[in-house]
Amino acid sequence: MVTMTENVEILQIKNLNLWYGETQALKNINMTFIDRQVTALIGPSGCGKSTLLRCLNRMNDIVNECRVDGTIDFNGKDILHNNTDPVEIRRKIGMVFQKPNPFPKTIFENVAYGPRVHGINERKELERIVEESLKHAALWDEVKDRLSESAMGLSGGQQQRLCIARTLAVEPEVILMDEPCSALDPIATSKIENLIDVLKQDYCVIIVTHNMQQASRVSDSTAFMYLGDLIEFAPTRQIFENPKQELTENYITGRFG
Amino acid sequence: MLNKPKEGGSGQKSHHIIQVKENIIQKFWFICAFFAVIAIAFILFFLINEAYPAFYTIGPLKLITGTTWDPTRVPPEYGMLPLIVGTILVTLGAMIFAIPLSLASALYISILAPYRVKLIVKPIIELLAGIPSVIYGFIGLILLTTWIMVAFNLPTGETWLAGSIILGIMAIPTITSVAEDAISAVPREYNEGSLGLGATKWQTISRVIIPSALSGITAAIILGLGRAVGETMAVLMVTGNAAVIPDPIWNIFSPIRTLTGTLGIEMGEVAVGSLHYNALFAVAVVLLVITLIVNILATFILDKVKAKQCGTKNCSIVYKERRKIPGKNVRLLFSRISYRYILILFISIFAFFINGLYTALFIVFLLFLLNFIIQKTSQKNIQKIIFVLIYCAILFVIFILGIILFDIFANGIPYISWEFLTGIPTDLGRAGGIFPAIVGTLYLVSGAILISLPIGIGAAIYLIEYTREGKITKFIRVGSDLLNGTPSIVFGLFGFAFLVLYLNFGVSLIAGQITLALMVLPTIIRTTEESLKSVPVSFREGSLALGATKWQTIRKVVLPPAIPGIITGTILSLGRAAGETAPIMFTAVVFTQRNLPNSLFSPVMALPYHLFILSTNVPGAQGQKYGTAVVLLVLVIFIYALAIIIRNHYHKTQKW
Repeated sequence: MVTMTENVEILQIKNLNLWYGETQALKNINMTFIDRQVTALIGPSGCGKSTLLRCLNRMNDIVNECRVDGTIDFNGKDILHNNTDPVEIRRKIGMVFQKPNPFPKTIFENVAYGPRVHGINERKELERIVEESLKHAALWDEVKDRLSESAMGLSGGQQQRLCIARTLAVEPEVILMDEPCSALDPIATSKIENLIDVLKQDYCVIIVTHNMQQASRVSDSTAFMYLGDLIEFAPTRQIFENPKQELTENYITGRFG
Repeated sequence: MLNKPKEGGSGQKSHHIIQVKENIIQKFWFICAFFAVIAIAFILFFLINEAYPAFYTIGPLKLITGTTWDPTRVPPEYGMLPLIVGTILVTLGAMIFAIPLSLASALYISILAPYRVKLIVKPIIELLAGIPSVIYGFIGLILLTTWIMVAFNLPTGETWLAGSIILGIMAIPTITSVAEDAISAVPREYNEGSLGLGATKWQTISRVIIPSALSGITAAIILGLGRAVGETMAVLMVTGNAAVIPDPIWNIFSPIRTLTGTLGIEMGEVAVGSLHYNALFAVAVVLLVITLIVNILATFILDKVKAKQCGTKNCSIVYKERRKIPGKNVRLLFSRISYRYILILFISIFAFFINGLYTALFIVFLLFLLNFIIQKTSQKNIQKIIFVLIYCAILFVIFILGIILFDIFANGIPYISWEFLTGIPTDLGRAGGIFPAIVGTLYLVSGAILISLPIGIGAAIYLIEYTREGKITKFIRVGSDLLNGTPSIVFGLFGFAFLVLYLNFGVSLIAGQITLALMVLPTIIRTTEESLKSVPVSFREGSLALGATKWQTIRKVVLPPAIPGIITGTILSLGRAAGETAPIMFTAVVFTQRNLPNSLFSPVMALPYHLFILSTNVPGAQGQKYGTAVVLLVLVIFIYALAIIIRNHYHKTQKW
């Protein structure tokens, strides 16, 4: 049984609008994310789901000509406010990208990178964090004997789990995943999905996916977006079994997409 | 037979023709690549051949370690040590000046600058690269040496310091643009990945971006070093050229003479075939050896950097051994912080030897204070401080450019007139115009580019697209790298010995064109190689998988996105060829030439040489000097602007 006390609202988006130059990519989005749950963002290409995800840890800051208004409340702080330090936000809201992007360093250094930039230099402590993170990301057994080899030599699925481990090493509160499996094979994909299941015991996970089966498998609630609008946001079962909006139904039954 | 069962004879025939065509194209690129090697062999052979008598007569040890260089004494003395020391010192000074400014500029342009600012600042730095060395020398002679003389109360400003500053300014654009390319080439994913983990911008730059771009940055510094070691005209004009070793060795106000300067001064007046002539070729050989050492060092460093980045087997063994060592202290020795203390130790020892105990103690105190402050400062403030330093650096670089341009244009434009541009010089250049020099420079540059562009691009295509790394590629690449590090004056010497004397071209337009072409060839090869390498392998695979031939793939898929890079390389080459004096001063130009060349075998006049002679050998031609400088600058700026516009156009239309 899910009790009310567990449903901590960790992120609240209010009246979020976003423009790339002249084109509006997000239109008046309002939604709330619950801690220790997996929320999936689905919708056809270009609907703004990745853009929305990147708002949550201010990664859009590095995109030229991007303009945002509205608020995103995170632990009582507005993420989008000018005075909010994006560095601080990104430390608490980690991100896993579509394409695995390990740094051209060793496996160890990849995971240790985050703790290092946050001031942890003691070797023993780093070793502990690296081991824990890799175990948490279900990668430890595969790489424990070659921590000092280049991360570039890992397979795609391993690289992606390394990127997840790298994110975990910073001990964030929220993990954003931008189509984390789109570049992976089915076996690697199922490993990541199992991992997401484990992660949600400790984190709020928000995942963008193209794959509706994946959304229905891994998520607790699902948001369907279309052309920059949030069409429907409800528990996953409801979205897939009994959608309220016609657009949502058309999309999940494959009538367009 | 050919795995095409459904096709008839005509299909097989056309397939056959395509194959023959492919083969011919491959052979053609191979010939281009091999040319670089032949050129190197020829240059080496001729230099050593001409230098041999000097080594034989004087003895190699005495020639290199002798402390007096005085060809006019009876008997003449040929001891190169002061020249070698001079070259090393002046280059070292230049690097201390140039590296921080260049890296800051590169970081600013590639990462910090807003897009619109970048569009302005990047060409400005490239413009700095286009300013011919003779103009730097001219400005150095007029402004910098006077300033040093007054500021430090010296009898003359023509010093080591002046040489180092001028050389440093000249090396800035080279280092900046290559380092900027390397930093920009770091995949965006690394940047996002690091920022996504909550690293600050500066942490991302210093821990991910710079390490990823390290091989490119090293290459940039070495290219800059090469330019500084091989520079002739600017150095010759501002260092005073006394063949002495500074006393004490760190006396930056001492005049100094470099190897290149010696060649530039004495080669024009030497009797062909005399011992002095041979000794000068020996100087060139030593110069070549120094550049060779620099190059080998560079390759060595690059290999090490690469090995470290990939985490090779050796690396993992070291790591495992280290893990077995009990206790944390040994490991701590290798941590980042202790590097700082080792650095402090080295600096203090250095200071102790130079200036005694108290200076050393003072410096150590300062460094520890600095270290303490760094450790106590938050990441955010460190970032602020460093970014402010970077902004200061880029402003300073632009300020230098501003001074140079302002001085030349403010003083030179009043002298520009129709008669000046179309007239013939009279009274040793003190009056009249500079028309023959303008035409001569245009002829020289266009000829040089026409010769070198096809060969250079062809060689690069062969090296990148047609070969796997093997002995032949390695040989060709080493040859082209060697050619790249070769100082321009050495090309001048080679042109003089081989083209002018041996092939009996005489001092002529064609000799100058070939010499300049050889000089810019490696730049074109290298930049073309780099831009071809930057095209993702997946493009090639995609095209080949559709059944396209190798050449079709190269022409339609690989070359188009590589063109902006190739154009950038050609820009640098054009600018260099137009402004170079050293390679043409013995091969193509005659100061008293008042007519236009009527064949490839007649001598010409050229703008940079005209300016050089006016500033050093003709007193009282103030207006003509500035006027010539303005024309030369405008010509170079025009070439650059044109090329930059073309490149930006391509950048806009091709995004991938």
